[in-house]
Amino acid sequence: MVQDEGSSSSVTSSPLHNFSTMPLHTSPGGAAAASPTPPWLARELRSDERGLCLIHLLLNCAAAAGAGRLDAANAALEHIASLASPDGDAMQRVAAAFAEALARRALRAWPGLCRALLLPRAGPTPAELAAARRHFLDLCPFLRLAGAAANQSVLEAMESEKIVHVVDLGGADATQWLELLHLLAARPEGPPHLRLTAVHEHRDVLTQTAMALTKEAERLDVPFQFNPVVSRLEALDVESLRVKTGEALAVTSSLQLHCLLASDDDTSGKDGYHHHQSSNGKGGDTNKRQRSPESGVSPTTSRADAFLGALWGLSPKVVVVTEQEASHNAAPLTERFVEALNYYAALFDCLESAAPRGSVERARVERWLLGEEVKNIVACDGADRRERHERLDRWTARMEGAGFARVPLSYYALLQARRAAQGLGCDGFKVREEKGAFFLCWQDRAIFSVSAWRGRRFD
Amino acid sequence: MQPPLPQHQHQQAAAPPPPNSAAPAPKKKRNQPADPDAEVIALSPKTLLATNRFVCEVCNKGFQREQNLQLHRRGHNLPWKLKQKNPKETRRRVYLCPEPTCVHHDPSRALGDLTGIKKHYCRKHGEKKWKCDKCNKRYAVQSDWKAHSKTCGTREYRCDCGTLFSRRDSFITHRAFCDALAQESARMPPIGAGMYGTGGMALGLSGMSASHQLQSFQDQAHSSATTTIGSNPAAQFEHLMQSSTGSPAFRGAQPTSSSSSPFYLGGAEDGHQSQASHTSLLHGNKQAYHGLMQLPEQHQPGSNSLLNLGFFSGGSGGQDARLVFPDQFNGAVGGNVRGDGSEHGNSGANNESVAIFSGNLMGNQMASGAGFSSSLYNSSETVAPPQMSATALLHKAAQMGATMSSGNVNSLLRGLGNGGGTLNGRPAGAGGFMAGESSSLRSTSQAENESQFRDLMNSLAASGSGAGTAFSGGFPGMDDSKLSTRDFLGVGGGVMLSMGGAAGLPLRHGAAGIGMGSLDPEMK
Repeated sequence: MVQDEGSSSSVTSSPLHNFSTMPLHTSPGGAAAASPTPPWLARELRSDERGLCLIHLLLNCAAAAGAGRLDAANAALEHIASLASPDGDAMQRVAAAFAEALARRALRAWPGLCRALLLPRAGPTPAELAAARRHFLDLCPFLRLAGAAANQSVLEAMESEKIVHVVDLGGADATQWLELLHLLAARPEGPPHLRLTAVHEHRDVLTQTAMALTKEAERLDVPFQFNPVVSRLEALDVESLRVKTGEALAVTSSLQLHCLLASDDDTSGKDGYHHHQSSNGKGGDTNKRQRSPESGVSPTTSRADAFLGALWGLSPKVVVVTEQEASHNAAPLTERFVEALNYYAALFDCLESAAPRGSVERARVERWLLGEEVKNIVACDGADRRERHERLDRWTARMEGAGFARVPLSYYALLQARRAAQGLGCDGFKVREEKGAFFLCWQDRAIFSVSAWRGRRFD
Repeated sequence: MQPPLPQHQHQQAAAPPPPNSAAPAPKKKRNQPADPDAEVIALSPKTLLATNRFVCEVCNKGFQREQNLQLHRRGHNLPWKLKQKNPKETRRRVYLCPEPTCVHHDPSRALGDLTGIKKHYCRKHGEKKWKCDKCNKRYAVQSDWKAHSKTCGTREYRCDCGTLFSRRDSFITHRAFCDALAQESARMPPIGAGMYGTGGMALGLSGMSASHQLQSFQDQAHSSATTTIGSNPAAQFEHLMQSSTGSPAFRGAQPTSSSSSPFYLGGAEDGHQSQASHTSLLHGNKQAYHGLMQLPEQHQPGSNSLLNLGFFSGGSGGQDARLVFPDQFNGAVGGNVRGDGSEHGNSGANNESVAIFSGNLMGNQMASGAGFSSSLYNSSETVAPPQMSATALLHKAAQMGATMSSGNVNSLLRGLGNGGGTLNGRPAGAGGFMAGESSSLRSTSQAENESQFRDLMNSLAASGSGAGTAFSGGFPGMDDSKLSTRDFLGVGGGVMLSMGGAAGLPLRHGAAGIGMGSLDPEMK
C-alpha cells in the first residue's frame, strides 16, 4: 500500500478518489479495490466536516447544473440530501435550501414534469409570506433599522412642511409607519397632515395596514389619510399615485426595486441595444454573451430606468431605497450561486443565533422567505427571476442616471441605528456608514444597504 | 439629465393679454401628473391679484377670461376670435409663488394650477378682506369665505371646558391640551396604581381594566407631560412611554437607560401634576412598571394601538419566551431602580433620558423583537463545541481551496472566499471566480480533483486540531489508537503517506499538529 500511494495522482487505490468522482460521473464501477464509501457513511462526521462536504457538494452540483450535466447534478443532490436537513445547523439548512433550488433548476430541463408538479406556483400563500416577513422583522433587526433610518430621513426632509405625502413602493411594514406617525406627532411644530399612499400586490395587506394606521393616527391626533394602490410594482402606473404638483413628497422602497430589473432578459444583459428581445434564458448557461453583464455600468433604457425617471418627474423631496447588498444578478449560474451561498449563509447564521432550532418562526423565515428567494435566484431566469439583487454602487449609478442626487443619511440616524444594534443581546449586528449610506451588517458581511436620494433642487 | 427649465418673468402693465390662455380643456383633471418638462412660470403679485385682466375697449367692462371678452365683443359688433388652445403644442405649465420666503417659490415645488396659485397667494400672503358675520373669521379668498359661511354654526363640538368648535380637527387638538380634561384624569391614578400593585407579575389582569388603565395612564401622561416637561409635547411623551413599555430586554441589556424609564413611568403613574422633583417618582411604581409591562403581552390583538406595535407578534412561538422574562425583568428593574434612582433627581436627567428614549425607540423595538430572544436563547442553548457558523465554513472551504491545487471546483471554492469576503461592495464574487478560472487553466485533470478532495478531507483532520480551538473536544478521543486515526480519515494509513507526497507542506504540519505520535513512524 505504501508504494501505491507514493506519488501525486493515484487514480486507482484511494477510496476518496471514488468519493470525488461520484458527484461528477455516474461511477463506472470506479477503479480498484477500495469500496466507494463517502466519508460521511464511513463514520459520523463532525458538524464542520459535514459543512465542508456540503459546500463542496453544492459547488459541484451547481457547476454540473449550470453546464447541463444533470446526472452529475442528481448524484450530488443525493449526497447533499443525506447530509443536509432543514432542521439542522445553519450550514445544513442553507444546504437544504440551495439543494431544493438546484433541484428545481435541474427539473427545468423537463418542462412536462414541472408543469405536472405545478412547480412554479408552489409557494407560500400571501398570508404565509406576510407572516414570514413579520417573523424576519422580529428575529433580525435589519429591516427595522432600515425602516428607522428611512423614517428619520423623511422626518428631516419634511421639516416645517405642513402637508406630507409619503409613497411606499412596498415592503415597509406597518410598524414603520406607526413609528413615523409618532415621530411626526412629536415634532416641535406639531404634526403635519400626513398622506400615505401604499403600493402592494395584495389588497388584504393594505386593508389591514390601513386599519391599524388610521386608528393610531386618530389616537395621536395626526391628520392622516391612507390611499391604497393595489398593483405589482412592475405594472405600477405612476399617475395612480396621485401626487399633486408642488406637494412635499417622500418615496420609500424596501427590497422592491430589484424586481424591476427582471425585465432585462438574461440574453441581453445591459448592452444598450436591449429592447424587446425574447427571453430564452431557460437554456442554462450555454449563453451567447460575450461578457459578464456585471460589467455594464451605464444604465440603459429599461423598465427600471423608466420607472426611476417617472419617479424623478414627481420631484420628490426624498427617496429612501433599501436593498439587499449582494450581486445576485449575474447571468452565469455559478457566479450567482457562489454569491448567494455566501449571502444566505450569513443570513442563516444570523437566524441561528437569533432563534432556537425548533423555532417555528425561524423555520417560516427560512422556508417561506429566504428559501423562496434562493429558489428564485438559482432556479429561475428571465422575467421569472425577480430577486435581482444588486449592490449599492450599481444602484447609485442607476439613480444618478435617472437624475437623483445622493442625500447623506444623518449622523443622528446613524447613532440611533448603532445604539439600537448594540442594544440587542448578540453583537453580530453592525451598522456601517459609507458616503452617506448605511450598510446593515452581520459579522462584517453587509446584508442590506439604505440610501437616500433627492429630486431636483434649484438653489 | 436635468431638463432645461426656462423661467418666464412677466412684468405686469395695465391689462396686456396674459401669456397663458385660460381655455379650459374638455374635462380638466384637478391633480395633473407631474411633468418634468413643464414650463415654469413666475408671475408678479400684481398679475396674480388682478381680477379682470381683459377689458372691453368699448365699454370698459372687465373680464377674467379672454374667451369671455371675445364673446362680449360680439355684442358690440366688434371683430372677435375665439382662440383654441392647441393640445399638441401647449406645454404643461406650473406656477411659482412670487413670495420669496414661500415654499412654492422653488421650481421643484411649483403648483400646477393658475387658479390654485392665485388662491394660495391670497390666502398665505394676502390681506383678508372677507369676514364671516357669525363667527368673525376672516378670509382672503372669496370662495373660502362663501364655503365657510355655509357651514358656520351648523355643526358644533363642545369641549368639556366649555369651548365651542365648528371644526373637528381644531376641536381634537384643543381637547388634547385642555386643562379641564387633565384635572379630571387626575382622579384616576390611585385606582391605577393600586391595581398595578396587586396585579404584580401575573398575566391575569382582566382585559377591560387593563386597557382602561392604559388609557387613563396615557391621559395622565398627556397632562403630566404638559405641566412638567415643558417644551416636549404630550405626544412625544406618549411616544416615549410606548417605547419604554415595549422593550423589556432592552432594559436588561442597558441598565443606564432603563433606569430612566421606570423613572418616567413612575412619574406618570403618580399622576402628580407638578413634578418638580423627579426623585419622588422613582420610589413608587416598580410594581406599577411591572404591571404595565405585563399589559403589552396579553393585549396584543387590537385592544390598543400601543400594543399593536408588532413587537410580540408571531403568535404562540414566542409565548414561552414572554413568560420567561418577567422574572429577568423583575430583578432588572428592581435592581436598577434601587441602584440608580438617586442619580436622576433633576430635570437635566429628565431631558437627557428623553433624548435617549426618542433615540432608542427603534432600539427598544428591535431589542424586544430580536435581542431578548437572542440573549435568552443564547444563554439557554447548549452549543456543541465544534459548531462553526455557515459563514465560517465557507471561509474555511475557500481557504482550503486556495491551498490546494487548482481545479474547476477549486476555483469556485476560491470564489466562495472572495464572494464572502467582499465587505465594501465590490463585485468580487465575479472577481474571485475569474481568478479561479484563470488558475484552473493550469490543470484540469481528474487526478487533480481527487487529490484536492483527499486534501480536503485530510486538511479537515489537520486543521481540525491545528486551527480550531473548538475542535479540541473532538480530537482527543481519536488519539487512542492508530486504528481509530486511520478510520477517522476513512482510508487507512496509506493515505497519510500519500498525503506526505502529494499535498506537501501544510498537511504535514497539520499532521504534526495533530500530535498523534502513533502516526509519525508511518509518516517516515
